[in-house]
Amino acid sequence: MTKQIIGKRIRRNEDPRLLTGQALFVDDVEIPGMLHAAFVRSDYAHARLLGIDVSAARKRPGVVAVFTAEDMGNDWQPGPPLVSPPPTAKDVVFHSRRQVPLVKDKVRHAGEAIAVVIAESRYIAEDAVEDVLVQLEPLEAVIDLEKGLQAGSPLVHDDLESNLAAHLRQKKGDYEAARDRADLVIKRRIVIERGAAAAMENRGVVAHWDEKSKSLTVWDTTQAPIPIRNGLATRLGLSENQVRVIAPFIGGGFGPKMMMFYPEEMLIPWVSMKLSRPIKWIEDRRENFYATTQERGQIHDAEIALSGDGRVLGLMDVFLHDTGAYDPYGLTIPLNTQCHLMGPYDIRNFTSDVSVVFTNKTLVTPVRGAGRAQGIFIIERLLDIAARELGIDLVEIRKRNLIPPDAFPYEHTIIDQAFAPLVLDSGNYWPVMEKAREMVGYAQFVKDEQPRLRAEGRCVGIGITPFIESTGVGPYEGARVTIQADGKIFVATGYGTQGQGHFTTFAQIVAEQLGATVSDVHIVTGDTAEFHWGTGTFASRGVVVAGNAIHAASSMVRQKVLRLAGKILETPEEELELAEGLVRLADMPQKSISLAELAVLANPLRGAVQPGTEPGLEATAYFGPQFGATAFGTHAMILEIDPETMMIDIKRYITVEDCGTVINPLILEGQIHGGVSMGIGNAYYEKLHFGENGQLLNASFADYLVPSSTEMPRIEVGHVETNAPFNELGAKGVGEAGAIPVPALFAQAIENAFYDRGLEILEMPLSPNRLFELLNEEKSQ
Amino acid sequence: MKIEGEYTFDGPREDVWEMVRDPEVLVTCLPGTQSLKLVGKNEYEGEMAVRIGPIGGVFSGRLLVSDEVPPESCTLTAEGKGKPGFVNGTGKVQLVQQGENKTLMTYAGEVQIGGRLAGVGQRMIDTVSKSMIRQGLGVLDDAIKARVMAKADSKAVPYTPPSETEFAAAVAKDVAGGLLSARLVVWIAVAAIVVFLAVLVWLGVR
Repeated sequence: MTKQIIGKRIRRNEDPRLLTGQALFVDDVEIPGMLHAAFVRSDYAHARLLGIDVSAARKRPGVVAVFTAEDMGNDWQPGPPLVSPPPTAKDVVFHSRRQVPLVKDKVRHAGEAIAVVIAESRYIAEDAVEDVLVQLEPLEAVIDLEKGLQAGSPLVHDDLESNLAAHLRQKKGDYEAARDRADLVIKRRIVIERGAAAAMENRGVVAHWDEKSKSLTVWDTTQAPIPIRNGLATRLGLSENQVRVIAPFIGGGFGPKMMMFYPEEMLIPWVSMKLSRPIKWIEDRRENFYATTQERGQIHDAEIALSGDGRVLGLMDVFLHDTGAYDPYGLTIPLNTQCHLMGPYDIRNFTSDVSVVFTNKTLVTPVRGAGRAQGIFIIERLLDIAARELGIDLVEIRKRNLIPPDAFPYEHTIIDQAFAPLVLDSGNYWPVMEKAREMVGYAQFVKDEQPRLRAEGRCVGIGITPFIESTGVGPYEGARVTIQADGKIFVATGYGTQGQGHFTTFAQIVAEQLGATVSDVHIVTGDTAEFHWGTGTFASRGVVVAGNAIHAASSMVRQKVLRLAGKILETPEEELELAEGLVRLADMPQKSISLAELAVLANPLRGAVQPGTEPGLEATAYFGPQFGATAFGTHAMILEIDPETMMIDIKRYITVEDCGTVINPLILEGQIHGGVSMGIGNAYYEKLHFGENGQLLNASFADYLVPSSTEMPRIEVGHVETNAPFNELGAKGVGEAGAIPVPALFAQAIENAFYDRGLEILEMPLSPNRLFELLNEEKSQ
Repeated sequence: MKIEGEYTFDGPREDVWEMVRDPEVLVTCLPGTQSLKLVGKNEYEGEMAVRIGPIGGVFSGRLLVSDEVPPESCTLTAEGKGKPGFVNGTGKVQLVQQGENKTLMTYAGEVQIGGRLAGVGQRMIDTVSKSMIRQGLGVLDDAIKARVMAKADSKAVPYTPPSETEFAAAVAKDVAGGLLSARLVVWIAVAAIVVFLAVLVWLGVR
């Protein structure tokens, strides 16, 4: 099928609303009689709760209620597990400890909620928070991953023998044998630290229990409205149809909003039912730094074995993963790391051993990249070091190890984040890398420009880093497509949206099938009253999983349209085409009928619907992929560093993405730009500093630096398309791709810039200060 | 956070000891302090109202004096909390007579800071608190001089402690070299709380 609409650079359907302030965000929801919530949170990272005195807060005028864990009675329960526990197997350890709605016995991270105050206004609620007297006995906090596992360490969870949350070892081939026959073995310790997702919109929940209709409506900044609805119904003793969860426009998800059942997410609806009043809670930025999940903290001891010609014989990596105070998200992140440690390379011998550690820090759940960036950082660092040791060009050593195109689907014989076998579905890696190399002008830069600039005393470096991204995993998503009586098309999916452009990409998929104008396709996402089957927005799966469900439903509607139009136009279906909102004869376009007329005819007010048919032009379909679709890409960059201030000026930034079928290049580029910005933060600016006893030392945007427009380069985006074989659209995800390789690319390019200083970067994120320190350490050695 | 330092007072050791163990005197050295009272043997409670910039509220502290060897040394353990967070610490203060009318005070302490103070005020805490200690000790020194003179003359010598504003301005000048921005005032406010508790730690109170 030649594509008419898919692949077109179309402006976003949602932008007029967003740009003119007409889009509904959670904080826009105003309901008469609404009360406001504020939380009492712990200043300590680890402390025993000895007592709470809320009497003064309750007496403050305007305060309606104050709730503590005790006040919740039997409704106080830890949150549900978000992903299945790993299969029970030898060597697999997993201790599930989930976040609690309010602290009952012990505070396990700074910012954990202890009590909630409900008042006539947020101002009063905040003042009343100060009236609550909390008696805490501080305990020594577990901050360092290695110390946390040592005997005698304080325990985050007193009922466990140690702070080990999980342990998993995966093996492929025989690493030891590979090492024995290697010409070169490189072993390094690599440390990656925590960052925040720092979405522009913080979290927020508005809950409205209506006593008369016995229904609960919740507006929530969640990436997973359907699981939230189902979970709320179960926990609150309601039928699912009594609960409607709406995830309206959301100012960025990036993963942390996926983690369903944050304490506040459960409490606010619970309070609304208790008080029979609408309740609003909007997280402030400081709360976000303490109470919204974070990611990336890992310590790796990695070892790579190579032959003299730069072929990787094997890889071994033993690492610690920081899960924070609880582990509701199971092993998703460390498994993602394991699955990306081999990157796009054909590595036959592999051992990876992960220990997940409880710490007295904010919970860790996936943040855009979700463990993948760490895996890619490790393998790319090791290859850079190997290339130097062996005197092989850094592109060449990678080319020699890429999985060849005829090896797909490529089975890694380890398990992925869903405990299914890791299979890379398809790919043709070298053309992508080659294109990036050409776009950045690698050969010319290394041969002519760099020597010339270096001769002028300028500190310029180049990097080129390939990566894979597992995307589009199951279990499933679904959608319902309806042609309305006005000829416009209504699509409902449970899939939540947080700025990815779904109102346009999904509309293009529908328009392609039904010959409609993209702006005539109206998409509703994330409202359980419209569609209530689905899981959530994660793992770069929107276009792949929800997109294919929408595609399938649109195809079904197309069949209904053709059948009905064929009958009315007295023409065989194969001679009809759908275009411009009409069904017409392909060779006699003046003979046609509009989708609007067909929709009316398909839903008659008199007569009888034919047996075996359904009224209307509507269909519902689901898509559940057996394997994910693994995307591939390469980023390249040329940077210049001011050797005195260590500030970086990115001269060129190139990305070449192979995410299969491109639905809309404009939106794809937007996703890449956003991802790169996040990656630049992860590489050079964004690090959460934890001080003694678990205090976060940079809990504001004055001290926690996110890249701004001045740190962002102009990004040149190239595309290569290798269609995914296991879904009809041939699409692969791209939502996280922009962020994944950036830290590895920065390390490579910075080392290249300081080629004569023997610099080896074994940590992320860096910062101008840290780079200065590293260079001076090198100097003093 | 580790804080250590020394200060030389113009007065004999016994007088310095007496002064630093006198809550009435200390209150004047720490403008904003509302009360400082004995609640048990060698145990004190104090309150300080802070209302500058966005950080407002009453900060309350508790102090324990132990290992007391008058007029030489003591160990102080303090804890304080309020809207801006908490400060806990222990410190050792030593007084060494240096000649007839000079006393060297050395202090060394370890302070833990948490909550908003740590999360938002971090980058200025170190510099500003050190400056405020210096200023506070300077005020104390003036008080000691006044007392020494009063003893010598057997009559009262007027001593006027600085106002809250004067104190903050002096610190700001010290830190910023006279270039005081509106933003800095906020940081100073944060640091003022730290210093209140820090000084509780480092100085003896009676």
